[in-house]
Amino acid sequence: METINNLLQTFNDLFLIIANAIRGLFADPHSVWANLTMDIINFIIVVIIVVLAALILILLERKIAGWTSQRTGPNRLGPRGWFQTIADALKLMGKEDVTPAGADRLIFKIAPMIIFSLPMMTLAVIPYGKGMAPLDLDLGIFYFVAISSISTLAFLMAGWGSNNKYSLLGAMRAVAQMVSYEIPLLFSLLGVVMITQSFNLGVIVEAQSTIPFIVLQPLAFVIFIIAGLAELNRAPFDLVEADQEVVAGPFTEYTGLRWGLFFLGEYGNMTAMAALGATVFLGGWQGPLILPGFVWFFMKTGIIIFFMMWVRWTFPRIRIDHLMKLAWKILLPLAILNILLTGLGIYIVRFVMGG
Amino acid sequence: MFGKGLLQGLGITLKRMVGPNITEFYPEEKPNLPTRVRSSMGLDRNKCISCNMCAMACPNKVIKLTSEKDETTKKKVLKTYHMDVGRCLFCGMCAEVCPTKAITVTQEFENSIYEPEDLHWDMIARAERKGKVE
Repeated sequence: METINNLLQTFNDLFLIIANAIRGLFADPHSVWANLTMDIINFIIVVIIVVLAALILILLERKIAGWTSQRTGPNRLGPRGWFQTIADALKLMGKEDVTPAGADRLIFKIAPMIIFSLPMMTLAVIPYGKGMAPLDLDLGIFYFVAISSISTLAFLMAGWGSNNKYSLLGAMRAVAQMVSYEIPLLFSLLGVVMITQSFNLGVIVEAQSTIPFIVLQPLAFVIFIIAGLAELNRAPFDLVEADQEVVAGPFTEYTGLRWGLFFLGEYGNMTAMAALGATVFLGGWQGPLILPGFVWFFMKTGIIIFFMMWVRWTFPRIRIDHLMKLAWKILLPLAILNILLTGLGIYIVRFVMGG
Repeated sequence: MFGKGLLQGLGITLKRMVGPNITEFYPEEKPNLPTRVRSSMGLDRNKCISCNMCAMACPNKVIKLTSEKDETTKKKVLKTYHMDVGRCLFCGMCAEVCPTKAITVTQEFENSIYEPEDLHWDMIARAERKGKVE
């Protein structure tokens, strides 16, 4: 029993042990050069997480789309079609890279790069295990929301730079939708911040050792999921790239690898949002059973991602006036109500505890 | 109200997700066709008495057959039997009218070809080839 526990503990801290070993190679384990090396390694790991997540999720999405409509999804390449995304990625790389004649070249070319860089920046503050956050920021949630809201700008750049009416329509929809839904999203996270008195994601996970915040803040979790879906421009809130209405929105004029970058960024952002949800509401790397922390973390993230896909292939698209009404007249009051109730609850608990 | 319909929809899709698929893996697994499917013709050369009734019954004049008289038995023997399948409806009238059930409607459906000339089926050759394969 002792050895098994030791083994589990070793597996739990596997990445910390590796990190310490790499630091140990330097004369001073906390010198500037050691820190720089570790930062670069962390960055590479986050990039690998984004790319792997996109590769797996694109296929998973198509599989789930198939299963919900009683098909099998891709089934030709590899065992049961699990290599399909690799073939798709190779195809995208082989495509011609077209820049439209009337396009604003600089903005047109920068937009997909910005979209792709955002999930890397946001996933860097997520704690993947005990002490395993690539960047342990004290303003974790604040940083995460601030960075993820830049994607609005990237969508607008893509839409404007394409010099295409559908692109611009999609971009304007993106701005309206994402700016509106940012507010309920932020307010739903505020309740948790009020309870823990910290923006640090690591501290928030530590505070959930006894009970995950989904039990204390169920309303906030529902608001977070709805606003998160809208923030990611996923169905039923995919008005930005509504194929039947505006071709593909801001992505209309993009081809080949640039379009692929948009796709990677979309799924990377989805992973980041699911990771934030798992960290803040589901208890991050904490779990009831003795499994390594990062296994718990990725399981919870996976559950949220699966839910997002499930919702996407179930509901029809929402109308734009209903979308705005939902954000401003339903979600925002509910989020403020949740903050009020949380404040009252904290006050009552302090009064009872006498703290 | 309050998302009851949404939950119901999620329940339905979850049921579909875990339920069986209706996809047919066609090239690997052949589909079970309904019994009434008419998609190909087959000829039994020994049963044919060369009465030419199939050619007469055919609405599109698909069937062309020739025969010669066997001097010893005084019976007609089938020489050639050609079908221009490009014009065939697979209506089955030839099979209906055949007194000896020599020509029959079959359910082979993989009839695609590369050259338009291949639409002229030599039914005797096809029957022999099929006999060899089986």
